[in-house]
Amino acid sequence: MNKSGKLLYNSLNDNYEESLKFKDVSQLGDTPYDVAIVGAGIVGTALAYKLSQYKVKTLLIEKNYDVGEGTSKGSSAIIHTGFDAPVDTLESELVTKASLEWPNLAEKLKIPFKNCEAIVIAIDEEQEKKLQVVYDKGIKNGVTDIKKLSGEEVKELEPNVSEKVRGGVLVPRESLADPFSSSIAFSEIAMQNGTDIILGVEIIDVENKSEVIKSLVTACGKKIKTKRIVNVCGLGSEKFAKIYGGENFDTNPRRGQFLIFDKHSGTKISRIFLPIPTAVTKGVLVSPTIFGNLLAGPTAEDYPHSFETISETTTEQLQLLKEGASKLYPGLNEQPVINIFAGVRSNCTQGSYWIRCNDNSPGILTVAGIRSTGFTSSPALAQYLIYKLKDELGLKLEENPDAIDSRPENKWPGWWKPRYNNKEAVKENSDDGKVVCYCEQITKGDIIRHLDSPLKPRTLDSIKRRTRAQMGRCQGFDCMVNVAKIISYHCEIPLEGISKRGPGTEISSTIPSNN
Amino acid sequence: MNSNKDYKAIIIGAGPAGIGAAMKLYKSGVKSILVVDRNDRIGGIPSFYKKKKGGVRTFMRWSRGGYPVFGEDFAKWLESLISETDIEVKLDSQVLEIDAKKKSVTFVNPKDGKVIVSADAIVMASGSREENIAERKWLAGARPSRVMYTKQLLNLDRNDLLPIKKPLIIGSDTIAYAAAAKLKVAGAADAIIVDNRSNPTCPIHERLYFRFWTNPSFHGFNVDTMEIKGKESATGVLVNGKHFDCDGIVISGELIPNSELALIGDIKIDIPSRVPVVNKDHQLSESGWFAAGNILGGFHGAEWCYFNGKKTAGSVLKYISKS
Ligand SMILES: Cc1cc2nc3c(=O)[nH]c(=O)nc-3n(C[C@H](O)[C@H](O)[C@H](O)COP(=O)(O)OP(=O)(O)OC[C@H]3O[C@@H](n4cnc5c(N)ncnc54)[C@H](O)[C@@H]3O)c2cc1C
Ligand SMILES: Cc1cc2nc3c(=O)[nH]c(=O)nc-3n(C[C@H](O)[C@H](O)[C@H](O)COP(=O)(O)OP(=O)(O)OC[C@H]3O[C@@H](n4cnc5c(N)ncnc54)[C@H](O)[C@@H]3O)c2cc1C
Repeated sequence: MNKSGKLLYNSLNDNYEESLKFKDVSQLGDTPYDVAIVGAGIVGTALAYKLSQYKVKTLLIEKNYDVGEGTSKGSSAIIHTGFDAPVDTLESELVTKASLEWPNLAEKLKIPFKNCEAIVIAIDEEQEKKLQVVYDKGIKNGVTDIKKLSGEEVKELEPNVSEKVRGGVLVPRESLADPFSSSIAFSEIAMQNGTDIILGVEIIDVENKSEVIKSLVTACGKKIKTKRIVNVCGLGSEKFAKIYGGENFDTNPRRGQFLIFDKHSGTKISRIFLPIPTAVTKGVLVSPTIFGNLLAGPTAEDYPHSFETISETTTEQLQLLKEGASKLYPGLNEQPVINIFAGVRSNCTQGSYWIRCNDNSPGILTVAGIRSTGFTSSPALAQYLIYKLKDELGLKLEENPDAIDSRPENKWPGWWKPRYNNKEAVKENSDDGKVVCYCEQITKGDIIRHLDSPLKPRTLDSIKRRTRAQMGRCQGFDCMVNVAKIISYHCEIPLEGISKRGPGTEISSTIPSNN
Repeated sequence: MNSNKDYKAIIIGAGPAGIGAAMKLYKSGVKSILVVDRNDRIGGIPSFYKKKKGGVRTFMRWSRGGYPVFGEDFAKWLESLISETDIEVKLDSQVLEIDAKKKSVTFVNPKDGKVIVSADAIVMASGSREENIAERKWLAGARPSRVMYTKQLLNLDRNDLLPIKKPLIIGSDTIAYAAAAKLKVAGAADAIIVDNRSNPTCPIHERLYFRFWTNPSFHGFNVDTMEIKGKESATGVLVNGKHFDCDGIVISGELIPNSELALIGDIKIDIPSRVPVVNKDHQLSESGWFAAGNILGGFHGAEWCYFNGKKTAGSVLKYISKS
């Protein structure tokens, strides 16, 4: 049997049980870590998952109060085949490899996954000419099952496509997956295999960086000993690399805004509609989501790091986005928008997938520029990083025979397989018949199961991403307070202390009401 | 009429409209009536307005001489009407989907699990909600905490928690002014009300009524965009280069019908207003389906909805007797 890893939260408020509070480094024991992964995005968590298959003492550390709250929460959520990746690059190699791994991986991890196919769509003569280029590139990237389609064939597959369609390229293996469940599943399994996880803690310094055993210094002043450091901080990777004096590189945040349409809109098209990519961007796509909605986006807006409002949405860009997306699917204009959001890609000037081993200090691995394919590539990238850790950073890899690599059947999210469809389930647990989020039809049972799950989520957003409660058309109008009350009651946290995403974001500035 | 249906009539929603419809049907001698509501109590929106000493009464009883009552009292009144009948009420029961042709509804609750029931006629009285940020089209910006819809504010208040000291309210109808008064009574400052129109939606006589408790400042604009600001919790709104400070935002009013059951059940609704298409007999595009109350769009007070429920029930009676 494995000894499960520890889970600790920075204790800035009382939302976490005593046993979960990170008070002192002695809680982590005396032995330094073999590997400390800094940044629990999709890349960091995938690495923790794959690394936990070996006997390696690993720590995963994240500044937010949940995993996957950085760039990883704001993507198009497509598992790409890599048909349009730059040929002969590490990115292309990893994306192609990972796209083959995903169907099986998703099944093991109980991550909702759907192979819905994609069509690259040409709507004018100039674009039509480029279809051949798209096709040839796909073949070069090893995606040999792609197929050229005439305008008529596209219309037959997708009756709601633009009347102007002149042709397309069908990419059969492009798929959808749930990006939120992914980093959670990776982390839960890693933890069960012994990986320690600390949340709510930012790393602000590295001491003794030239020595075998170094210290990560946290913003709360604690020092954590580790032999190796993996910088998978996404947008924060440049800042972190500067701290330990890694080789210079520049990341330019590139914002991508999205429109989310209501559920029934998700049935209007069944495949991902892709525009002809340009040199700069994959362009604005229209796609069903794994959750049953329709999504249009992303925009591509470059800003300097100093641009404070980088993660905000703007009505102007969203309007342009709608105009762009409706060129592929004109019916979009009649569909009801229920949400807008922005994600920020970490674009690296020195190139995508910019990876440095022993980055000016032994034992430090820098990973930057995981720009727009990181969700897809994460399992293959993780494996690649493990080889780097072994070959270049001297990590000994011995398989852990007790390690698990999957989650049990009951981990399928409730929105994917509602419990109440089984009569016995409600008889056994009446909470499975109590719908709390009306729009997404999420039950109290679902919410409580997640509160009790390994990462002990306690914030509204962490419950939202796990269950989908508050993600529907009313955006929490009906259920936000009821979800907060369930967290409050189940975890014995005062209602006013329930937060959106950790300390500082409590739902109340606490004033007693008169009565 | 002999039919193989489970009920004569099913009513979705135990708010003012649903209860109005149920009462009229009952009093007209309809025997088997089922009312389904996902909430844990009868009363709909009014039941969220807790009765408090010195508090604000926001529900008008026009039919009784035009005096205001607490929502909670209005809801209790609806409950008392039902308690004197043998109308079957299923609470905590979410209607998941409908079958327009079979005239059936599927609901789930903690006691019975998932159930399908049918009726000769079905009334949708599922009310409305407030338009969300994206639906308003001119709201964007950051996503801090303490940005809430009025119902969230009311629900926190029911739990004796008023979350904001320095409120900013986006939207300017009666619900917005009622929220401003509620906040003030609980100890918050006079609200700043901002809207994307030059004058408040709330009529002047109602504003004067609320003046008894609070004197919010109104700022009207005519803009393409207003941005919510705040890294952690909300700190303000930026509009036309002007920043309004606050420690929390209430997004208020602009009601939009809860008509998604109709939508997924292939009953005609208008997009993007979501207002169901009804004929003069309150019937929807599918035979045997009716609608009452605020699902019909616009802003109507609880009493209007109650009477509208009764009126709709009149059409239901005609329909049942004809078929
Ligand atoms: C608009 C958009 C659309 C996209 N669409 C797709 C798609 O369809 N398919 C696809 O495969 N990919 C897509 N991507 C790309 C994908 O989302 C990213 O490549 C991926 O999420 C990057 O993951 P990450 O783990 O590197 O970064 P992140 O998710 O940002 O993780 C980094 C983590 O490090 C933490 N951190 C940073 N600094 C510190 C510190 N000092 N101490 C502690 N923690 C720290 C951060 O809080 C963060 O959680 C898209 C991206 C965007 C923006
Ligand atoms: C936030 C808000 C504040 C308001 N404040 C005031 C005010 O102060 N004064 C005033 O006069 N009016 C107010 N109104 C207007 C209010 O809508 C009416 O007063 C009245 O409550 C409408 O009655 P109704 O029966 O049509 O809908 P509601 O009162 O909304 O009742 C609808 C019922 O249907 C149920 N329901 C909906 N869908 C389903 C489903 N799928 N399955 C099961 N049950 C379902 C709901 O749980 C609810 O109980 C407010 C409205 C809102 C949204």
